[in-house]
Amino acid sequence: MKRLAVAFVLIICATLCKAQENNLPPLDKSPMDMSYYPNNYPVLKIQDKVTEPLLARVIYSRPQKSGRIIFGDLVEYGQVWRLGANEATEIEFFQNVKIDGKKVAKGRYTLYAIPNADNWTIILNKDVDTWGAFKYDAQKDVLRTTVPVQKLTDPVEALAMTFEKSEAGCNLVIAWDNVETSLSISTK
Amino acid sequence: MKLAYFGLPALLIIVSCTSRNRGHPAGSETGPAASIVDTGAGNPYAPVDLSPMDMSYFPVNYSQRKMAHEIATPPVMRVIYSRPHKQGREIFGKLLKYGEPWRLGANEASEIEFFRNASIQGRKVSAGKYVIYCIPYENKWTIILNNDIYTWGLKIDSTKDVMHFDVPLQKAPIDFEYFTMVFQTITGGADLVMAWSDTEARLPINF
Repeated sequence: MKRLAVAFVLIICATLCKAQENNLPPLDKSPMDMSYYPNNYPVLKIQDKVTEPLLARVIYSRPQKSGRIIFGDLVEYGQVWRLGANEATEIEFFQNVKIDGKKVAKGRYTLYAIPNADNWTIILNKDVDTWGAFKYDAQKDVLRTTVPVQKLTDPVEALAMTFEKSEAGCNLVIAWDNVETSLSISTK
Repeated sequence: MKLAYFGLPALLIIVSCTSRNRGHPAGSETGPAASIVDTGAGNPYAPVDLSPMDMSYFPVNYSQRKMAHEIATPPVMRVIYSRPHKQGREIFGKLLKYGEPWRLGANEASEIEFFRNASIQGRKVSAGKYVIYCIPYENKWTIILNNDIYTWGLKIDSTKDVMHFDVPLQKAPIDFEYFTMVFQTITGGADLVMAWSDTEARLPINF
């Protein structure tokens, strides 16, 4: 019975997906998204609820797990990964910040990651407006920092990036499949 | 029991879809969402938007062409916008009222960034980021550049309008399910092509 119900839902989903595909031009399979710190800054702004200045914004595309094993398989350990899909993932700082004790001037950067089983290396690179990590140029790195990974019990279907408040400023939280990691961004 | 199995997933889909409409009042262009497959369900960090975001550069496909070493010069401009879909609704004159501001997208206000100075309808537009929005009419659209950036599309502060440009309308080549903004090369610059449903408008931008 349960299987029948699941099949029923899947058929509906498949039909709807197909209906969408018939209308050109298609949406990206990995849709783009944007996160601000302060979180939901645009909404806070129109509600006159902004209490701290704009600090950062990330623009990224959101690949989906689709039943695959992501880390160590689809995304190989030890290799530079574009931390998204399609256009390279971009982080913009609206103030000068510090990451891992290093000064980062306000402006736009491309974000990459090198995932490993226990930690990720997060890379800030100044070659913006590019595509993926296919032409990644380490000479344009602004900084590299290594952060630990946490395992999640409930897998995250679509790659997610969001910010959370921290004492020093904010953390960029990155989660996909059964892995979560966090990059500390300091305004002090 | 049967009802519970069939009804519960359906209800979950409807509930999770409608919860995507972050702060959208009734009648906004994100509208009823029960027919949408929700890939963001259960994502505790950031659900996938019902009207997903997209980005277009000029030169067209700049980032891919840069990657392929076809372009070595900096990009000229880009637009970042969200893509509502039609879902069988009548869009212009109905869902979007003539004479009333429309955010040219969904969710966050649509943003256009000029990486260098541009010229539109003979007027200089300084390099930088702007919110871009529209007042649709039956026979023309007024396209507006506004300085109130990093905002949400539903409440654009018109006191921060920088420039208004009227553009004619034409019949779109297809019935566009998803709102679409792209650049197309023209002599001396690009058209910003804006198309949704059966309507298309072009804003010529020169450099």
